[in-house]
Amino acid sequence: MKRKGIARLLALALTGTMVMGTLTGCTFGFASDPDDPNEVEEEIPIDTSVDTYEYRTDLKGTEISVLNTKAEIQVALEEIAVIFEEKTGIHVEIMPVTDGDSPYTKVVSLYNAGNPPTLSILDTTDVVALAEEKAEDLTDEPWTAEAEGYLTEINGKIYSFPLCVEGRGLIYNKAVIEEALGETFDPATVKTQEDLVELLDRLVAAGIEKPVSLAKEDWSLGAHQLQYVYETYDGTTDGAAQVIEQIKSGELNLRDYDRMNGFLDLFDILKKYNVAKGDPLGADYDEMAIDLADGKTAIWLNGNWAWPNLKEAGADNDDEYGFLPYFMSNDENDFANQKIQGSASKQVMMDGQMATEDEKAAAKEFLNWLVFSELGQQLVVYRCNIIPPFQNNPYEPTDPLSRSIYEHVQNGETFSASAIVPNDHWSILGGAMQKYLADRCDREELIELIEAYWAEQE
Amino acid sequence: MKAKNKGKDFCIFALLGILFFAAVVIVPFVYGVYLTFTDWNGVSQVKNFIGLKNYIGVAKDTQFWTALLLTFKYVIVVVILVNVIAFGIAYLLTRGIKGQNFFRAGFFTPNLIGGIVLGYIWQFVFSRVFVNIGEATGMKLFEISWLSDPDKAFAAMVLVTVWQLSGYMILIYVAGFMGLSEDVLEAASLDGAAGFNKLRYIVLPLMMSSVTICLFLTLSRAFMVYDVNLALTAGGPYGTTEMAAMHVYEKAFTSRQFGVGQAEALVLFVVVACISGLQVYLTKKKEVEA
Repeated sequence: MKRKGIARLLALALTGTMVMGTLTGCTFGFASDPDDPNEVEEEIPIDTSVDTYEYRTDLKGTEISVLNTKAEIQVALEEIAVIFEEKTGIHVEIMPVTDGDSPYTKVVSLYNAGNPPTLSILDTTDVVALAEEKAEDLTDEPWTAEAEGYLTEINGKIYSFPLCVEGRGLIYNKAVIEEALGETFDPATVKTQEDLVELLDRLVAAGIEKPVSLAKEDWSLGAHQLQYVYETYDGTTDGAAQVIEQIKSGELNLRDYDRMNGFLDLFDILKKYNVAKGDPLGADYDEMAIDLADGKTAIWLNGNWAWPNLKEAGADNDDEYGFLPYFMSNDENDFANQKIQGSASKQVMMDGQMATEDEKAAAKEFLNWLVFSELGQQLVVYRCNIIPPFQNNPYEPTDPLSRSIYEHVQNGETFSASAIVPNDHWSILGGAMQKYLADRCDREELIELIEAYWAEQE
Repeated sequence: MKAKNKGKDFCIFALLGILFFAAVVIVPFVYGVYLTFTDWNGVSQVKNFIGLKNYIGVAKDTQFWTALLLTFKYVIVVVILVNVIAFGIAYLLTRGIKGQNFFRAGFFTPNLIGGIVLGYIWQFVFSRVFVNIGEATGMKLFEISWLSDPDKAFAAMVLVTVWQLSGYMILIYVAGFMGLSEDVLEAASLDGAAGFNKLRYIVLPLMMSSVTICLFLTLSRAFMVYDVNLALTAGGPYGTTEMAAMHVYEKAFTSRQFGVGQAEALVLFVVVACISGLQVYLTKKKEVEA
């Protein structure tokens, strides 16, 4: 009897510990409640009174499909497809890609199944990999004239439609900085790494103990941060390609390359003031948005795609957020310290292999409509919340981050370099950067890892 | 006449099954083997025969061998822990304690949660709950997230897998214990066998058929782990917990070295097939009839 009792106790204790793990999940809340049921989504109305676009009527009944790999605009695209069909009779099917699938994997599997989408929204590297084999040549399309500086050329031809401009840099929360310092904050006064350190020190003195959020995600470290090393070579995509060639061939020693050292200097500064300094690899992405919105931190390295996260964390369209450049040196005249990076980040590729002539014409009509019709222009800006790279679009983005990028573009304060790197660059070198972030390797070892990675590429 | 009937029976019962099996297992497998000898990148329309070049690529891919070695370590720890724990708990739960059916269901529950969901839940536990416990109590062990230290992240992987897999194995062991013949056990007791001796010389040999199944299931599951790996650590911190299956996927689809990835998958298959085949052969030999 006694034995049975012990056995029972043991079993009870074991189940207890096993169940506990799942239960504790519910007891920890967030600082600010992200889901307020009383919040009403305000949508900017679309003005349909003026529509001077000349619609083609001969394509009625044609069906095309769009593979959407930008999950946040799925609903908006579906709405756009309905309006487009009303106007032209062309049916547009929007196919979503779920979070786990990579755009490239999805489009490749659709090609292998013999059923590729007419249009696919892809990353630039994917377009480069697929274009010459699969894509329709779009060089002569009228919209190319409106997107100067944002087009991707492959051997002199244009195979893709730039969907949106995305920019990245050091996001600041103006209200938090002003409240802490007790004075108005003019981002233009921060011009160099030294200025940034001074600002951060003042924030610390004012009580914001660790004012910087630094994401540990490999895509953030490997793609968004490390790629500055290539992109600030001279601020152009060609320049980035050149410097990559030099690193590959061993011609350029990264130890003597001022951009490498400048980048690591800034990264060290961000590391020093990192809110998660005690456990940098334990940093949580969602918490960073909450920290910035709540004023626990004042600066976060990210891009304008982070707005949905900030919004969910409680930020408002009227709040003042903006971008500081990713400072690469202490030279005020350095373009990298004056401009922020902004380039066309999602590209729409048209299938040239399986699509019929009608489908191609319908897909081209769809793209032109997005660029040249008043309706399309508004829908892209107000519903998808993206910054179109087309100069003829007069509508301004509504969220503060996109607005900041938009203003920088208008003032000529962006450089549009986007480095074309192998597809596993973010994952492998992101890992190397994590190691450096966690102080588990020094600069020398990091540079060796970067060199080894490039040496392996053909 | 008899032979003809047999042919007809075969067609009725097995032909359809064999056709489906061939279509979804045999054909893709053979095609997959063929692909390892080509330079196909997953997209292009031409496939050039390149001999063993992909296999040379596998040999040169040090990351793959590191991942495979790590997988071995993981498999050994997981297989031992899962089976010892499951055997022990099943033993306790077949001794007629009150509410044992409730406990059996309780232990089995984690196995009903999918690996991805489980991974995310535990990620939250390791990186938030543990850290909060650490802050509250000052315990060194919970000071930083387990997932940001390579060794602890590995331990986390093991912990979650054991937690998930044990329930399933408990069920099989419980069934085994229930099938033990009371006569044999009583005879053994009368002959003076008790405690550990009874377990070692009477119970264990009779339980060997359950052990065979459980070892096989845990071995193959642990070798092929992907979902928990992806959702819990995603191979991090800095690639130190990337297991073989995950590396294969990354190689093929992230690095886009389709041929090398496919060849690595085949190597992994051969390794797992050999080891689990050997295990089944060895434990089968130990099985006895009561």
